[in-house]
Amino acid sequence: MTTTYAKLSAILIKEYKLTPDQLSLDASLQDLGIDSLGFVELLFTLEDAFNIKLPSDPVGLTRLGDVVDYVDQLIAEQEAPIITQLNSI
Amino acid sequence: MRRVAVSGIGVISPLGNSALEVLVNARAGRSGIRRLDSAFAKRLAAPIAAMIRLDPAPELDPIKARMLDRFSTLAVFAANQAVQSSFGALTGLDRARAGVFVGTGMGGTHSMDAGYQTLYGEQSDRIKPFTVLMGMHNAAAAWIGIDHDLRGPNLTYSTACSSSTVAIGEAWLRVACGQLDLAIAGGAEAPLSPGSLKAWDALRTVAHMDPDDPSASCRPFSKNRSGMVLGEGAAMLILEPWDRAVARGAPVIGEILGYGQSNDASHITKPSIAGQAAAMLEALRAANINPQQVDAINAHGTGTQANDRTETAAIRAVFGSRADQIPISATKAMHGHLLGAAGALECVLSLLAMHDKIALPTMHLSQPDPECDLDYVANMTRIGVAARVMLSNSFAFGGSNAVLVLKGVNANGRY
Repeated sequence: MTTTYAKLSAILIKEYKLTPDQLSLDASLQDLGIDSLGFVELLFTLEDAFNIKLPSDPVGLTRLGDVVDYVDQLIAEQEAPIITQLNSI
Repeated sequence: MRRVAVSGIGVISPLGNSALEVLVNARAGRSGIRRLDSAFAKRLAAPIAAMIRLDPAPELDPIKARMLDRFSTLAVFAANQAVQSSFGALTGLDRARAGVFVGTGMGGTHSMDAGYQTLYGEQSDRIKPFTVLMGMHNAAAAWIGIDHDLRGPNLTYSTACSSSTVAIGEAWLRVACGQLDLAIAGGAEAPLSPGSLKAWDALRTVAHMDPDDPSASCRPFSKNRSGMVLGEGAAMLILEPWDRAVARGAPVIGEILGYGQSNDASHITKPSIAGQAAAMLEALRAANINPQQVDAINAHGTGTQANDRTETAAIRAVFGSRADQIPISATKAMHGHLLGAAGALECVLSLLAMHDKIALPTMHLSQPDPECDLDYVANMTRIGVAARVMLSNSFAFGGSNAVLVLKGVNANGRY
């Protein structure tokens, strides 16, 4: 279990009142009751929780595992040294 | 026009969270007004309000609850209760002929307040994504429509303190004229956010706190009255054609006979005798009831100097010398002023009072006022009042007056 997944799970259990047995990397957001509108709010929560900035319209995130991978990717990018970011431009 | 039955009631209020609780507490003259003990209350001139003693949120799906302002949560709670108490009003219903009519004065003020706190108080741009959806006035009606699959008109009325009387009246019209076969109608208000409390405080219409008994701070029609007390809550009614309700064996609580409106067209806050009287007369005309047939009145009775004096004069203008024989209840002394939900709660109380053959008390009326010289059922419930027809008055800032004419069903269930 990654740190990101553990943190995301904790948020879903505490704030969305989901139970641990509902959660897995394969669990679909839709099945958890988080539709496209609910996802907008979840993104807002994740920005605060992980101190990252999400693009306004992330796509293709349908499972919890997708969200974890996406957040990990953004953390890596946004924590990267400025010189690395500049080199990638 | 068809007769319109009230066949379900839902309430969440400072006087209780069901029709029975509300009736028991109102009958006993108990007050739902309390001293506020939050840190913010120290910034209020009068730290008093009428609060609900129940958290309705646990009854909701947690993910949905995140999208509801408090006023919508209260509305949804009351609507669910009303539907349950109707014993099947939605069964076999053409959903396109069923509507929702909700009154609210302040809408989602908690959510807007929280957004402004973030923006201005914390100097942060991180306003929550659902702020618009929670703050919009029509959110409560929309959620009720979604919850119960009601596909006809979904309407929200915001005429300040007459909002839910207007909502019930407009719903009555649609059912009576045959456009709809069912309406969930009422009001919801949650005005106890810091910004709202402070804004009302600034307007200097809020009652001074009684230092000995804060719960007795609202004193309608008493000479020593000093203003209104804000309250939160929701009340919803199920309205359906009388024949349908009777045919399905519904627990009919009463009947809406008519509704009238008028506009003062004179001053944004100062009430008008002519305007209030015009609304009562229009309601009587719509109900085809003459003033001699009115047995009791639930007054707007806010406890402000201006309203109570004006309302007394307006009742005299409509009923003449007979006004002295009409028991008048000002129940806001107990449940506070629920603003846009006040009329719906008072409509419910009026129907329950007729059912129980009582006139509810106007509490804390300790000093008679020569300018308020009617029979206000002072301080104690009057039993054995065989009222069959009542008016429920609601008057509003802006001058939008609205009055319902109600008919009771007695405790034997006879119509």
